[in-house]
Amino acid sequence: METRAAESPDELNYKAAGSGYDEVYGNESEIQPHWQYLLDGLKTLGAPGIHERQQKAERILRDDGATYNSGFPSSATWQLDPVPALIASEEWASIESGLQERAELLDLVLKDLYGSRDLIRHGVLPPELLFSHGGFLRACDGLSLPGEHQLVMHATDMVRDHEGNMLVLGDRTQAPSGAGYALENRTVMSRVLPSLFRDSHVHRLSLFFQSLRLKLNNLASQITQEQPRIVILTPGSYNETYFEHTYLANYLGFPLVQGSDLRVSKGYLWMKSLGGLERVDVVLRRVDDFYCDPVELKSDSRLGVPGLLEVVRSGRVIVANPMGSGFLENPALLRYLPQIANHFLGREAQLSSVKTYWCGDPQDLTYVIEHIDQLVIKKCFRRPSEHSIFGSELDEPKRLALIEKIRQEPLYFTAQEYIRPSTTPSWKDSQLLPRPSILRGFSVAMDSSYHVMPGGLTRVGSQSDSLNLSNLRGATSKDTWILASEPERQISLLESQPLPIPTPAQPRIAFPCRVVENLYWLGRYAVRAEAALRLLRTVFVQINSTYHMPKETEQVLLQTVTQLTTTYPGFTLSGSPIPAQPEAELLSVVLDGKRAGSVTANLNALLECSDQVREMLSADTQRVINDLRDELGGLADSLKQGLTAAPEEALDPLVTTLLALSGLWQESMVRGLGWRFIDMGLRVEKALQAVSLIRASLVPVLPKYQQQQVLESVLLSSEVLITFRRRDRSGSDMAQGLQLLLSDSSNPRSVFYQVDQLRKHLAELPSAANGSGLADEDRYMLEASSAIQLCQLEELVVEDEDAGTRVGLDQLLSRLQHLLHETSNQISTKYFDQIKVHQQLVRTDWDEEL
Amino acid sequence: MNYRIRHITHYEYEKPVTLCYNRAYLLPRNTDYQSCTASRIEIYPAHTLGQQRVDYFGNKAYFFSLEQPHKELKIDVVSDIKVHDSKYIHECELGLDLGNTCGQALVALQKSRELPVLEAREFVLNSPMIKAAASLREYARPSFASNRPLLSAVRELTHRIYTDFTYDPESTSIATPLDEVLRNKRGVCQDFAHLAIGCLRSLGFPARYISGYLETLPPPGQEKLVGSDASHAWFAVFSPDEGWFEFDPTNDNMPAEHHITTAWGRDYGDVSPLKGVFFDGGKGQKLSVSVDVSRLPTQE
Repeated sequence: METRAAESPDELNYKAAGSGYDEVYGNESEIQPHWQYLLDGLKTLGAPGIHERQQKAERILRDDGATYNSGFPSSATWQLDPVPALIASEEWASIESGLQERAELLDLVLKDLYGSRDLIRHGVLPPELLFSHGGFLRACDGLSLPGEHQLVMHATDMVRDHEGNMLVLGDRTQAPSGAGYALENRTVMSRVLPSLFRDSHVHRLSLFFQSLRLKLNNLASQITQEQPRIVILTPGSYNETYFEHTYLANYLGFPLVQGSDLRVSKGYLWMKSLGGLERVDVVLRRVDDFYCDPVELKSDSRLGVPGLLEVVRSGRVIVANPMGSGFLENPALLRYLPQIANHFLGREAQLSSVKTYWCGDPQDLTYVIEHIDQLVIKKCFRRPSEHSIFGSELDEPKRLALIEKIRQEPLYFTAQEYIRPSTTPSWKDSQLLPRPSILRGFSVAMDSSYHVMPGGLTRVGSQSDSLNLSNLRGATSKDTWILASEPERQISLLESQPLPIPTPAQPRIAFPCRVVENLYWLGRYAVRAEAALRLLRTVFVQINSTYHMPKETEQVLLQTVTQLTTTYPGFTLSGSPIPAQPEAELLSVVLDGKRAGSVTANLNALLECSDQVREMLSADTQRVINDLRDELGGLADSLKQGLTAAPEEALDPLVTTLLALSGLWQESMVRGLGWRFIDMGLRVEKALQAVSLIRASLVPVLPKYQQQQVLESVLLSSEVLITFRRRDRSGSDMAQGLQLLLSDSSNPRSVFYQVDQLRKHLAELPSAANGSGLADEDRYMLEASSAIQLCQLEELVVEDEDAGTRVGLDQLLSRLQHLLHETSNQISTKYFDQIKVHQQLVRTDWDEEL
Repeated sequence: MNYRIRHITHYEYEKPVTLCYNRAYLLPRNTDYQSCTASRIEIYPAHTLGQQRVDYFGNKAYFFSLEQPHKELKIDVVSDIKVHDSKYIHECELGLDLGNTCGQALVALQKSRELPVLEAREFVLNSPMIKAAASLREYARPSFASNRPLLSAVRELTHRIYTDFTYDPESTSIATPLDEVLRNKRGVCQDFAHLAIGCLRSLGFPARYISGYLETLPPPGQEKLVGSDASHAWFAVFSPDEGWFEFDPTNDNMPAEHHITTAWGRDYGDVSPLKGVFFDGGKGQKLSVSVDVSRLPTQE
C-alpha cells in the first residue's frame, strides 16, 4: 500500500494537501482501494506519457470545436484534466438515490408553486421567498406538462465536506448545462486512456442520453400521433455553452434552432424549413424562460418566439424544462428544503444541502451580518454578470458595503457556509497535485422516477486554494468515473436491462432555413476570400518582381484588386493617380477587418456562418475551420514586414486551407440539401468573381505588351496560365484567354462551368418542379448560359477606339453580373427566411425584470 | 348603475405588417363591486386566432395574432358593466377612522397566517416598475403615524398627491421613473397611482395597481361628447382582516359607482392594455384611442 507520507520525489506519488478531505486518501493516510488501479496505471504511463495523453486530449477537444465561450470572438477550448475523478459504486448508489429524491422533490415544488401554492398557504415557505424572485413567472402560472413530472432535467452541484459527506451547493433547473460536456469528456478520455478506461469498468453514460431522448419522445407522443419533431432551442453561437447545444443536437439527432427559426401560426409552433413550415412538438430549451416569448415575457427579447407561451398553454407544444422552472434555482430554497421534504415526503431528504441562510428571515439576516466572513453570499436571482461573493475575501470597506446592500434588500440575498471542497489529484505542472473539486450531477425524468447519469461533470480549481470553481474563473473539468464494484457482473447486468426502444432516426433530418442560408453564404464567403487572396498573391508577386512593371499594367491590376474585392474607392478614385507605394492600401485590403470586402472581413464572415451551422459540419471540416481561424489570427503578424518580404507567402496557407475546405465539401459531404446550398453559394460567387475579374482587367484596352502582362496575371490567379501556354494558338491570345476564363466547359473555374452547375442545382431544389414553366432564377441562368455559348469571342475582344474599352465584352459581362445577382436574390427570397426581426407594438422602456 | 363601455384602439402602420402577436387587457374583470354582463372584442382585419383566459391575478387576458398583411389594426371592445351600488359603500359612509391602525396593520401583516394576508404580502414587494425607496418613504411618512387608522392615512396620502402634484400629460411617458415624478411633481393618473403604491410599499403596506375607466359627466346643461372619456388608473391598499380599499389620487376620492375596473396587478406592466410584437410595418405607426363610457337604462 502506498502511504500518504511517501517521501519519494516521484511526481506521480500523489500526496494530499495535508488537511481536509482528499478524494484519494479520505481522512486517512492510505489510498482508498478504488483509486489504486488508476494511480498505478498513471505511474506506468509515467509523466511523459500523461503529458502526451493530455496533449492528445487537447487536440481532440480543439478538433471537436469543444469550447466554452467567455465572450465572442475569443472562445476558449474546453479544459479537460487527463486524470478522472473516481467514485466507488457503493457510494454512488447512495448519491444516485439522493439525487433522484431531490429531483422528485423539486418537481413537487415546481408543480405546487405554479399550481395551488400550498407551500405558501401552509406556511412552509414565506410568501416573499417566492414573490420577490425574478424567476417566478406569473405568466406561467398553471402551466402543466403531460405525464408525471414537470421538471424534465435537473442538475445538482455537490461538494464533499471535511468529513467526506456529499452536500448540495445548488440546483440547475432553468436549462441545465454540462451533460454534453460530460459526454464529450468521456468520449475524449476513452480515446486517450483507452486501456485504463476499459479496465476500470466505468459505468457508461449513453443510457442517460437515451433516457433523455425517450422522455422527449414520450412527451411528444402526448400531442401527436405522427413522427414527432423535437428541436433544441439555442440562444445562438454567442452563448457560452453553444458547443454543447450543437453537440447534443448531433448526438440526439434533433435540429438545432434559434428563436427566429421558429414561428407561431394557427395556434401551433412551426419550424421554418426549406420545404415550408414544419410542425414542432417538443422544444428542448437552452434559452432562459424569461427570454422565450416577447409577447408575454421579456418584451425586448430577440431569443424567443412571439406567441410561444400561448401555444404552450394550449398544450399544442411542449417546452422542456417548462417555462418558469428557473425559479427552482433560487438558493434560498435550500434553507427551506428540510421543511419542504417534510411537507411532501414526511421525512428528511437523503441528500443534505450546504447550510444556507436567507436574509429575508430576520434571524438569518442577523446571523449573516455577524458571520459574513465565513459565508458565501449569493443573489437569490442569478444574473449572468453576478458571481458568488466569498466573505473571507472582502476587506473592511467592501464588507461594510455588502452588509449595507444586504440590509437594503435582504429578500434578494442568500448566504451559505463556505465548505472547503475535498481535494482530488489533478495533472498540473507535470505532477499530480491536490486541487479542490466539485461535482455536477444530472437527472432526467423517466416514467415514475428520475434517471441519474452515472457520472457527471467534475470541476477542479486551478490553484490549491481556488474558491470559485466556475468555468468562467479558469476552472478545468474532469471526466467522472463511477466504478463498478464487481466489473463483469455489473456490466452484464447493465446490458441485460431492457434497453429503451431505440427511436427511429427522423426520416428527414430537416433543418431550419437559417442553416441553409448560412451554408449558402459559407460557400460564397469562402470563394470570395479565396478569389481575393489569389489575386492579391499574383499582384504581390508582380509588384515585387525584379523588372519594373509598366505603369498601365500596375494600374489595371491594382484597380482590379479594388473592383474584385469591392473595397471602393481604393485604387479607383477618379482623378487621383495610382500611389507610388500601393503597400498601405493593399495591406488594408488584406487585414482591415472593419472594411467590407477585405480578406479578413470575408474570413470573419465565413467563420461566423460556420458557427451558425456548426452542428452540420463534419469533424474534418471543423478542423479545417479551426486552422483557418488560427491562420487568420496570425495573418497580421506574418505581414508585419510589409511588402518587402515575400508577402504572397503569408497568404499561401490561407489559400491552401480554403482549398482544403472546398475539397472536403466536394469529397466528403453527403449530397443532401446542405451540400447543395453550399455548392450553390460556391458557384454563384465563383461566377461573379470570374466575371468581375475579367471585367476589371480585360475590358480596358492597353498597349499590346501591357495587355499581355495583365492577361497572364489574370490567368495565373485563375490557375489556368499553364493550360493557356500549352494550348495551340488558333486566334488571338485575348480570345483564347477569354475562352478559358469565360466559356470553357472543361475548366472548372470558367463562368460557364459555374452557370451550368447552378442550373443543375436549381433543377434539384424542392420547389423546382411545379410544372408551371420556368421559374425566374431558371430563366436567368438559361439566359446566362446561352449568352456565353452564343457569344463570338473574337468579336468581343475587338477594341472600341473611342471608348478605349471593349464595349461588347463589357456589355456581356454586365448582363451576366445582373443575371447572377438576380438569381441569388431569387434563391434568397424563395428559400431563406425573409422576416426576421420584430418590433414592439408598445415600447416597454422600463426594466421588466425585478 | 349600468354602463356600456366602448374602447377602440386603432393603429396605422407606415407599411403593411405581415404578422403580429398581441396580448390585451381590455375586457373588464368581475370584482366584488361590479360584474361584466356582456362583452365582445372585435379585431379588424379579422383575426386568425383569439383566445381569452383568466390570468394569475384573475384578470381577463386576451391573446390574438394576425397572419395576413395589414396596414391598420383596430381593436374594438364593447362591454356592459353592472356596478353594484348596493355593495359599494360611499366614502362618507365608510368609517375611515375606524379599523386597523397603521401599526396594527404592519404587525398583522407579519404575524397573521390567514390566506388573504399571505397573498397580499406579494403586493408589498418591489415590482418591475415600482421599487421601494427612501424618498417615497419620506414623502409618505407624515401621514402614517403608527396609531392612526390605516385607511384614514391612505386617504390623506391620496389627498396630498392630488394637492402636491400637477396633472400634466406632457410631462411623463409610461416609463418615467418614480423618483423623477416625485421630483417634478407632475404626471398622469398612472404616475400618481404608481407613486401612491410606491409610498405604501416603502412603508410596508400592500398596494396594487388598478386600470379601468372613469365616467366623466358633462358640464351641467351640455351634451356629453363622444370619445371624450379615457382609460384611467388608481390603486388599492390592503388592510388585514378588512380587505382591499381603492383610492384615486388623480381625482382625490375613493372610487365609487363612476369607476369601472378592467384589471389589476402589481403595476402598469402587469395589465398594460396592449402588448405585443409585429413584423415589418415600416418605421412609423400612428395610434389613436377612443373611449366612451355611457349609462344604460337600469332595469328594475
